Amino acid sequence: MMTMSNAYIDDFPAEAKVIRAAFYSSFFALALGGVFGVIQTLHRTGYYRFIDSADYYTVLTAHGVFLVISFTIFFLVGIFTWAVTTSLDRGVEDLRFTWGWYGLMAIGITLSGVAILAGFTDATDISASVLFTFYAPLQGHPMFYLGLVLFVVGTWLAGVDWFRSWWAWKGENPDERIPLPTFMVLTTMLMWYIATLGVAAAILLFLLPWSLGWIETVNPLLTRTLFWFFGHPVVYFWLMPAYMMWYVLLPKVSGGKLFSDPLARVVFVLFLILSVPTGIHHQYLDPGIAEGFKFIAMTNTMFLLLPSLLTAFTVVASMEHGARQRGGTGYFGWLKALPWRDPVFTGMALAGLMFAAAGFSGMVNAGMNINYLVHNTFWVVGHFHLTVGTAVALTFMAVTYWFLPQVTGKALWSRSVALGQVVLWFVGMTFMSNAMHRAGLLGVPRRTAEPQYDGFEFEAAVGSIGELQAQIALGGILLTLSLVLFFANVIGTGLNGRSDDLPANEYAGTLSGPEDAPLVLDNLKLWTAIAIVLVIFAYTFPLLSIVDRGGLFGPELNPFPVSIESVTLLAFAVEHLAVGALESLSLPGLLEVIR
Amino acid sequence: MSRLTEEPAQRQEIDHDEYDPIGTLALIGLYFLILAFLWVFMYFVEFLGNEPTVVGGFVTVVGVL
Repeated sequence: MMTMSNAYIDDFPAEAKVIRAAFYSSFFALALGGVFGVIQTLHRTGYYRFIDSADYYTVLTAHGVFLVISFTIFFLVGIFTWAVTTSLDRGVEDLRFTWGWYGLMAIGITLSGVAILAGFTDATDISASVLFTFYAPLQGHPMFYLGLVLFVVGTWLAGVDWFRSWWAWKGENPDERIPLPTFMVLTTMLMWYIATLGVAAAILLFLLPWSLGWIETVNPLLTRTLFWFFGHPVVYFWLMPAYMMWYVLLPKVSGGKLFSDPLARVVFVLFLILSVPTGIHHQYLDPGIAEGFKFIAMTNTMFLLLPSLLTAFTVVASMEHGARQRGGTGYFGWLKALPWRDPVFTGMALAGLMFAAAGFSGMVNAGMNINYLVHNTFWVVGHFHLTVGTAVALTFMAVTYWFLPQVTGKALWSRSVALGQVVLWFVGMTFMSNAMHRAGLLGVPRRTAEPQYDGFEFEAAVGSIGELQAQIALGGILLTLSLVLFFANVIGTGLNGRSDDLPANEYAGTLSGPEDAPLVLDNLKLWTAIAIVLVIFAYTFPLLSIVDRGGLFGPELNPFPVSIESVTLLAFAVEHLAVGALESLSLPGLLEVIR
Repeated sequence: MSRLTEEPAQRQEIDHDEYDPIGTLALIGLYFLILAFLWVFMYFVEFLGNEPTVVGGFVTVVGVL
């Protein structure tokens, strides 16, 4: 037993402070998002409606943005900072720069958050009830878009920070392989840089100028497509940090080693390459994009199953290694030898199990023909509550029980409460998400305050709508209780005194290490180049065709020439001049061709 | 109580060459069977239960809207 603590905060006290700030920002967003979540669950199931149905969409926007933008991304910048500093064993290059990007993210999300929340009051005319996807013609206050821009720029600078660390490290260790956690951070950030170009273009070129009144219209299909250029890879921005936890932390808490470092690198390279050229699979039902382009997006999406299935194998094999080292035997008996009383382990394992279920509903979403059956139904909401709402969120909450002591130097308030919390989340999500999927199959729409219609009843082959609503409301309440337990633990831990008896800041060793991984895997320039080429293939023609049909700023806007007559006049004048010029050059053959 | 994760009660050290992840094969195999079953089951849930999609069927129209 150690008497001297060797936790993260002991080695990197200044960085631990930044990570704490990121975590607390993340948890604040989680608390807000959770409150809005239970309000909307009770509202749309009809159990308790205390808000106006028009405000439901403000609640929905807040739930979405606070959870999938601020909760997830603040948390992941925290663990990425941990990953880079721990695996390179060096502090950040310039702490002011680190605080700078954190500050920019915080200011940005505050602006966006205030713009959203102001939608609840008539005291100002500020609002941004545009939902997470902010599709035009829904228009938010400029502050909403500006805040998002600052937030994303903050994440870009965070990436610069981690690349600086790596470059400095590489200068001192020219012949070493990139340590796995850093490799994962760098590939994820490269993917993120490519992905966010879409949302940056959508906001800076179109939505923000439009919201400010500088341009009158936008082409909604163009901004939607640019949104999904970012909107699909952003799910990997949430998921890849969760994967990182499954690769570098889960094997360790299972009592084993990571099965294969090379496979882990392959997975992250595949995500870098394949995440972005898939966004159009969210637009299978959008008119104005040819079926062929959608088919290409579907093909790329199906390839994306590959890294997830590789992960399933590698992660399970690593857990099994731990179980066998702990004395587990048999085909399935080894599962009993896993440390199920450890909330860090159990939370991550249950998150992984839910992700396996989400794999099926994801394949349904990804298939062009089957997607038509579930598009814009509650099924989709069920799907992403399994992915970002459980695979990512539950993993993040579970690893919090490991990270919080590392970055605060304080012992966890209660392991038992933590264990109860992760199990409760799993149970609550099982009720809620399963019922959402089934409701979607009946055609119950998503994003609807009152999904009930005069003269029409949804018919269930098995069970009833009432039963599904009850499961969804029950699930929502269990999830809220789980959040209460989570925050009790975070606050209780914060109130604890410093502990000298914390686990050392270590991540999992490997059975097959980086020395077995081909060197080309670490060639980040090559993979980035391939990723860009695939994006060009997947998006150039769809974007050109959208602009060609609908105009860069929408079909209505013809800034110059201003009228049909002037177009005809102008065309006549140009043709006359051109013909004159060609005739004077006496090129009759060419003239015929042009005519 | 103050330890954050259980020190794994490791009984033996299993290295790369000794380790045979047969349990992983069993578990992933089971997952594959479930997926295959669900994929087949989906045909009965969706295609036999509803009218042709997109071009007809009120339930689907509500879903699309």
